[in-house]
Amino acid sequence: MKSVFLACAVIALAGNLGCHAGTQAPPSTAPTQSLPPPTPATVPKPGHAAPEPAQVPAATPEPTHTEGQAFVIHDGKESWTDAEAAARSGYTIIDFSDDWTPFIFAEQHAADGTVLHNRYRRVFLGLANDTLDEDGEPLPAGEKNHLELYGIPPSFGVLRARFFADEQQTCHATINQEKLEEVETIAYVAPDKMKVEEQRTARLRRELEDARVKAKASSLAELAQKDPTQAAKVKAYEHRTAEKSAMTEVEKRLACEGMFKRGVRHATGVYDDAMRLAVRRFQQKNMIYEANYLRSKTMDALARPPRANDYQAFMRVLRERVVSAAGVLEDGSVEGKAGAPTYTGKAGKPVPVRNLVDELTKSAAEQLGLDSEEGVLAFFKRHPAADFRRLRAAVKLPALPEYYAPDMDLSIVIDRGEVWYDLPWDASGVRHAQPRKRYPSFHLYLKYNNQRILLARWRTTVGGWRAEQASDGYEYFRYKGSDVGPRVIRNIVAGPVWIAPESTPIRSLLKMKDVGGAWQRVVNYDELGPGYLSAYGLVAGYFVQPGKGGRPDWDNGIRAHGSSDYLSIYSSEGYSHGCHRLPNHVALRLYSFILRHRPMHVLGDQGMGFARQFLASDDVFEIRLPSRGYSYQLEPPLPVDVLEGDIKGTLKTPVLTYVPKPGTKYPGPPPPVRNSDEGRAGAAAKSEGEE
Amino acid sequence: MKTQAQLAMPRHWLARKRWVAVAAATLMLGISMAGWAAGKNGKKAAAKPADEAGKTVDEEPSAAKSDTVHVTIQTVPPRKAQVKWGRKNLGAIPVPRPLVVERPRDSGPLDLVIRASGFLPVHTRAYTFTDSRVAVKLTPPSEKNTLFGYREEPAPNPDAGVPGAPAAPIPVPEPPKP
Repeated sequence: MKSVFLACAVIALAGNLGCHAGTQAPPSTAPTQSLPPPTPATVPKPGHAAPEPAQVPAATPEPTHTEGQAFVIHDGKESWTDAEAAARSGYTIIDFSDDWTPFIFAEQHAADGTVLHNRYRRVFLGLANDTLDEDGEPLPAGEKNHLELYGIPPSFGVLRARFFADEQQTCHATINQEKLEEVETIAYVAPDKMKVEEQRTARLRRELEDARVKAKASSLAELAQKDPTQAAKVKAYEHRTAEKSAMTEVEKRLACEGMFKRGVRHATGVYDDAMRLAVRRFQQKNMIYEANYLRSKTMDALARPPRANDYQAFMRVLRERVVSAAGVLEDGSVEGKAGAPTYTGKAGKPVPVRNLVDELTKSAAEQLGLDSEEGVLAFFKRHPAADFRRLRAAVKLPALPEYYAPDMDLSIVIDRGEVWYDLPWDASGVRHAQPRKRYPSFHLYLKYNNQRILLARWRTTVGGWRAEQASDGYEYFRYKGSDVGPRVIRNIVAGPVWIAPESTPIRSLLKMKDVGGAWQRVVNYDELGPGYLSAYGLVAGYFVQPGKGGRPDWDNGIRAHGSSDYLSIYSSEGYSHGCHRLPNHVALRLYSFILRHRPMHVLGDQGMGFARQFLASDDVFEIRLPSRGYSYQLEPPLPVDVLEGDIKGTLKTPVLTYVPKPGTKYPGPPPPVRNSDEGRAGAAAKSEGEE
Repeated sequence: MKTQAQLAMPRHWLARKRWVAVAAATLMLGISMAGWAAGKNGKKAAAKPADEAGKTVDEEPSAAKSDTVHVTIQTVPPRKAQVKWGRKNLGAIPVPRPLVVERPRDSGPLDLVIRASGFLPVHTRAYTFTDSRVAVKLTPPSEKNTLFGYREEPAPNPDAGVPGAPAAPIPVPEPPKP
């Protein structure tokens, strides 16, 4: 009898869990109802944290609330309420738990109720919680992933620890903020040019000093006033001196935040590999889309107090949770100089397309008392780490626009912008610029009441000249363009796997890895996936031409996918292999939104037993891929139209053969090109000259 | 003959107990049959790989999942080969039987190096998401030109491959796409 009772209890609990897992109800457009009576909780008002010891509060073994509860704030007071009832009353339940993933990585069910496990979900959660590395192996104690820039935001548990660590940190007090704020950027000086640069600065200093004495000026500033011919030199000298001082503070700041990698030596004052890696880690931590140098956004973040950066990180994470809970996408990216585009509402008046992402996040933060650094710190102090196992909040978000529905008539348009087919170098191998004023862009439209409403517009990529390995084992250049014309997306794959075609340069298929203490060459699975560094990023939509007369769809390998290679998206010289790349976090939002507002089937894990061997310096390497990823099928498929754009230069059609790399010796003429479905991805096989 | 305890039980409880005993015996029989079948499959696995070299095969149809998985490693052709995972030696493949490695379920992949005398070393990967079998094709050094990535030394023709030389391609228009 006891076991029967236990079984019932387990089933009841499982049922309970199942129900609560599905309460991500979008904010209702219906009139608001009152919330069920809250359960009073013994917590202080937001912004008035209970006195805490200086140390990080120890995690309690169990959360302070029961399963099925969500916290609400009324009159500045936090209390617990039943999440299901709150959702029914028009509240939106925001998941604050550490096992949150975007919709596409959430556990899905087949039509018969079977759970369809996603292989990558565990890794995503491990990366977000700093417990696993990109292979799904345990992360060494104390290591941090910092992968927000690549689409994996830290969990609230990780942010909580970050807030507490920065609160206790004393090394920040030694950093001179003024020196950091004095410069907008710090010019890059290559390590081997440092000595020359220092000599040049010293020579300039001597020249100016002589001039100052001669002009009987008390300072360089006075010299510049007395002798305007010296003004430019004084400015240059002072700028360089300010940069040098700022560099010292940057080093201190990066060291203080633990950004320098253990085992990589850094020479003080030099922008060496250790420094570059530390800057990259800092950019990853603070989600800064910039090249790995001390440019304006990076310098701004370095000049901000750590807690201000922590707060910005908190708001970005909250934004993803709110977007996920509300099922929205409009992020203000459609706004131009004239403001947001408008559509005609039911009332017959023009209505602007709202920036729902910012609006709803701001509303949630205000309601929950999380709209200030102090409010967030107080929130983390009153919730022990254990709370974040299942913490949820109930908020009343502004009503969604009238066009929201479970089935929305969405479509994608990609404008290729300005396109060059010409070779980017001449016969002697000298590169020629191919400037573009209009870059490729990705548009998501909604058809509503006979209007086409632009919901989002982002920069994306089109194909260009890429390095490719031919059947003779040599690398050539090949023009890998993006197809033009109507297509559809039928399949969306979460955690997609890219099957590297045989044309992938071998050098991009290998990497060094610490395997159980041995540093060895392995197949570069980062590139293949599933993972945030994968050629297809964290999610991909597959462009196909629908098959007619019972024939299968025609797939030319073009995808619109997430990518960690953000420089290829935002740089003036960035190109893909034909696919349309989006930053991972944008792609996650986009496809989660589409899947939640279009009829679809969950196909689940697409198992396959793929293996291929290749030779690299007398060792055989074997690529083994057990799955293609986790698939969703849109029915009907989503329409896509790719516009040709403006063709620049002399050639008006693309070159379809291999082009030898300037300066490379080949055994003979180029072999014929090879085509494959997967040949349009491959972030690592970059053109020469790319970073 | 009934025991005192049995005598104290209501009649329908006794009937239920007999059913429970029959069910338990059936279950035991089922488990031993499944075990026998599994053993038989394991023997079959040793004879299987020749036609499935290179494939990673997930081998766990049942919903019942244990905390560990078994990774079965073998070579094609079957040879005694050392299997290393980083510095750790996982052992030799005891031909004709495969090497079976037990790992915690979903504990991350294993990057393995398989070395057999007279063959090129093979770097491969096994996964722990489910039970799986890894059959690795071995290649002797004399046949390395059959592997992708093998490249011949270039001919001593200084002009070959230089843009503008005869080998350079001539742009051709794009054919109509299907």
